[in-house]
Amino acid sequence: MENSVTQDGIATVLANQSLDSSSVRPEIVVQVVDLKPAGNRYTFSANDGKMKIKAMLPATLTSDIISGKIQNLGLIRLLEYTVNDIPGKSEEKYMLITKCEAVASALDSEIKAEIKASTGIMLKPKHEFVAKSASQIINEQRGNAAPAARMAMTRRVHPLVSLNPYQGSWTIKVRVTNKGVMRTYKNARGEGCVFNVELTDEEGTQIQATMFNAAARKFYDRFEMGKVYYISRGSLKLANKQFKTVQNDYEMTLNENSEVEEASNEEMFTPETKFNFVPIDELGTYVNQKDLIDVIGVVQSVSPTMSIRRKNDNEMIPKRDITLADETKKTVVVSLWNDLATGIGQELLDMADNHPVIAIKSLKVGAFQGVSLSTISRSNVVINPNSPEATKLKSWYDAEGKETSMSAIGSGMSSSANNGSRSMYSDRVFLSHITSNPSLGEEKPVFFSTRAYISFIKPDQTMWYRACKTCNKKVTEAMDSGYWCESCQKKDQECSLRYIMAVKVSDSTGETWLSAFNDEAEKIIGCTADDLNDLKSEEGEVNEFQTKLKEATWSSHLFRISVSQQEYNSEKRQRITVRGVSPIDFAAETRLLLQDISKNKTSQ
Amino acid sequence: MDTSSPSAFVNGALLRRFIGQKVRTVIQVTGSEIGSVVGKSTDDLQIVVRGSSPPSPLTTYLEVIGIAESDNAIRAETWTNFGNTFDTQNYNELCKLANGEFKHLFI
Repeated sequence: MENSVTQDGIATVLANQSLDSSSVRPEIVVQVVDLKPAGNRYTFSANDGKMKIKAMLPATLTSDIISGKIQNLGLIRLLEYTVNDIPGKSEEKYMLITKCEAVASALDSEIKAEIKASTGIMLKPKHEFVAKSASQIINEQRGNAAPAARMAMTRRVHPLVSLNPYQGSWTIKVRVTNKGVMRTYKNARGEGCVFNVELTDEEGTQIQATMFNAAARKFYDRFEMGKVYYISRGSLKLANKQFKTVQNDYEMTLNENSEVEEASNEEMFTPETKFNFVPIDELGTYVNQKDLIDVIGVVQSVSPTMSIRRKNDNEMIPKRDITLADETKKTVVVSLWNDLATGIGQELLDMADNHPVIAIKSLKVGAFQGVSLSTISRSNVVINPNSPEATKLKSWYDAEGKETSMSAIGSGMSSSANNGSRSMYSDRVFLSHITSNPSLGEEKPVFFSTRAYISFIKPDQTMWYRACKTCNKKVTEAMDSGYWCESCQKKDQECSLRYIMAVKVSDSTGETWLSAFNDEAEKIIGCTADDLNDLKSEEGEVNEFQTKLKEATWSSHLFRISVSQQEYNSEKRQRITVRGVSPIDFAAETRLLLQDISKNKTSQ
Repeated sequence: MDTSSPSAFVNGALLRRFIGQKVRTVIQVTGSEIGSVVGKSTDDLQIVVRGSSPPSPLTTYLEVIGIAESDNAIRAETWTNFGNTFDTQNYNELCKLANGEFKHLFI
């Protein structure tokens, strides 16, 4: 009885045109078909197998529908309702339900009786059943017509945009648009391996999916770059904004039980690359952030390839710089690395005279030359993209951009950034600004850029410490021989020296001490701590160690510094730490000075 | 530093104010013949520099110190190759400031 409708239920409804809780309950159970939203409520057809009547559910039951209590093809018991005429169509009626309860969840199909009723409304042919998530329904309510088209797919495929952590089962059809390498990690809970893929669906929505350990091993070979898969039984969680590389509020985790099936012999789709362009003059805010950005611009120039030696493994990698301009009348240098430099970079060089428009997905924004962009392994370059932005840019360039004088973004004073990692040129101060504000950095460290000369490096200070070659933490001499690392809980025969030194710097307004750690000190001294230690231990007439320090003195650098407060002998003191050292770009410095001059002129 | 014979920083437009006097400018070389070099000033005007023994080979940018002969010609006394990268905008601004508001700072 539970899973069937009341015989001639609709006829009973039509006979008793209203029912409220005080009435005798005729126990009418009907099937819900064609459930769909209409404004803030839902309509459906009540079906008893013979007849159907249009019905409307009250807004108060919307939550039951979203939660799945009342389902399409499910059964409900009518508790309170009234039957009304549809204005202008006296033969058709509709039922306004004010109270009902769910009896059974979705049946396999619509209940149909062999005999066709002679009164009421004829049964309509069965409509394709469509599962809808809440967000899809909301999409439809907003007049987004797109979901209708994708429902035509053979499987019940959910668009990525509709996935959320609160949803039961789904299947997505996606292309692997980026595949990471298998990485191993070690933390307090042990070791493991992890890798992730970026998945893109037909509409261009992207999501990152991560797999750990067994799942990682299981799916690492299954996922191939560029292939299309059906995926189900993954879980979603809010994306960690710090590490997110794709535009999606959620990220997916696949475990061993997730299903990943290659979609072969099927109509393939090529996901469009979705861009989220940042105008060149707004790049300043992104400097040294973890966010990756997309740009579109007109190619101004393309350099030949250069070979750059990578610091950590001494490998030579090809690099090519291109300069892009956009309607903001700013230019920016984009460094293409590796295959992008030799492949698409060469293509760009050949066509540079035609000033093509290019769109680049996923770029890192660095502080080199003020603001500059750099490709990473998953960056994607599209030449002359077929998009409204590209058309607009091209026509702007042909009409006026060609003749306009543009300036490099790095030289501008884009000071819209909001934290420590701004461009070298945007929060420039003199040393006196720091030394005359003793309370600077009291609440939290503040960051500045400053151009200064090294004026003194005390030769007899402790300039370095013995560091673990693995983790760079301090090691102690082991009992017998070698060095013990407390952090790695390991003994090694060798250790390396790492700088931790104080240097005095001066500019036209004053002087102060900075503390510099290994990487920054290496740039200041010009050699590693190990090398400097070797020089120190050398005997001879000329002390190479002293010479090295002298050479480092009276050279100017651009320093990125942080200012914080430190308690020392119960006395608060400013501590200024070097966070970055770069060589002076004289042309950029000159531009900065010219800007200051014109600013001073206007303020007078 | 020799201050007995000062040379004014000029761009193409400023040259006319120093005819018969010593000037110093930087041009982007566009062509050269025996005894003369043609180039573009930092404000995009054409300047012809005459004089003996320009350096060879010439780099893209060339500094010239000499006597301004007309509003677009200089007789060079000293030629200096300035390399292939040079910020012409900065130099142009310097010329304007050195002959305008901050003239008193220059000799």
